[in-house]
Amino acid sequence: MPSDRIELTAPVGQAWEAVIRMVLGGIADRLDLGFDQLDDLQLAVERLLAEGDPQNPITLSFEIHDNGVRTRIGPLRDAALAEALQGPEPPPGVLTLPRILSTVVDSYGVEEVADGKLVVRLEKLVRTQ
Amino acid sequence: MTSVKQTGESDRQLLKRYHEGGDPAARELLVERHLPLVRSLARRYAGRGEALEDIEQVGAIGLIKAIDRYELSREVALTTYATPNVVGEIKRHFRDKGWAIRVPRALQELNGKMGPTIERLTSRLGRSPSIAEIAAEFQTSTEQVLEALEAGSAYAPLSLSAGPSGDDELDPMETIGSDDAEYDRTEDRASLEPALAALPEREREILRMRFEDGLTQTQIAERVGISQMHVSRLIRRSLERMRTQLT
Repeated sequence: MPSDRIELTAPVGQAWEAVIRMVLGGIADRLDLGFDQLDDLQLAVERLLAEGDPQNPITLSFEIHDNGVRTRIGPLRDAALAEALQGPEPPPGVLTLPRILSTVVDSYGVEEVADGKLVVRLEKLVRTQ
Repeated sequence: MTSVKQTGESDRQLLKRYHEGGDPAARELLVERHLPLVRSLARRYAGRGEALEDIEQVGAIGLIKAIDRYELSREVALTTYATPNVVGEIKRHFRDKGWAIRVPRALQELNGKMGPTIERLTSRLGRSPSIAEIAAEFQTSTEQVLEALEAGSAYAPLSLSAGPSGDDELDPMETIGSDDAEYDRTEDRASLEPALAALPEREREILRMRFEDGLTQTQIAERVGISQMHVSRLIRRSLERMRTQLT
């Protein structure tokens, strides 16, 4: 079954984060995600939004399927960050963005899209009881 | 103009002049004399989304109330009596008016009930409730629940219980990994570690429990003795603060 898809392009900045959180809330409701899962997904997205280029809009896409939601966010403003996200696990006790993402989503990765731009892919799965 | 320090009258004498003689000048002198106390207390709450001058003004109201309510039969010093009044006034101000944007009262109220309700449902269900389950508990729509949750994000989260300086003491947590020589430039780019030390101890501990020990927000809430929603807010605020510090 093809997944439903929502795409949203927004200016970078806290003023628009509420809109994005509401979209995530609606998706979480549709998928029957727990409140904690919604909160985790929102946190992951907020952290990545903070890494967007304030001079350019950021695009988010959400693919909603039976098992969860796949989110893509980008482009990132800093290639070094994308490299770090693809690098090895940070040593224990060190707080990094990769550690935060690996805690709050089921998996993540970096993808190259048109013009060599980099986006981050987040997977959040519906928890099975 | 009469200098406060040159009046030579003690607080007690001024309080008597005001309360027994109805002398408003004595009250004014007392307010002026104790404004440095208000400023000092107000500074503890600076940097939380309100201008320091505004906090000082609110604190001054607490001081005036303390002067007005002071009973001469009390053996307590005015400063001792006024301090909790000033702090209480400031905390009330943040509690009542700490909304970053105007949020309808009904949503504020729903948001206020959200934390305890989510905790109750979590305990009952043995897992975090879905939006639909929260909505059913409130007998409202899922949209209302989402709006109320979002309304909570409009609130400038405050750690009012955190001390002004005591929480800034160093602890062993902040040194973990900080001297890792193998850290290269790209890893540094993603690291929030350098800003960790600036956080209050409790917030560092919450981050450690969440991202190092892998505890859920609910588990952290139980350990720390605060609500899950408060844990969520503290995590967000801490991460945002750290990131701001590093950019």
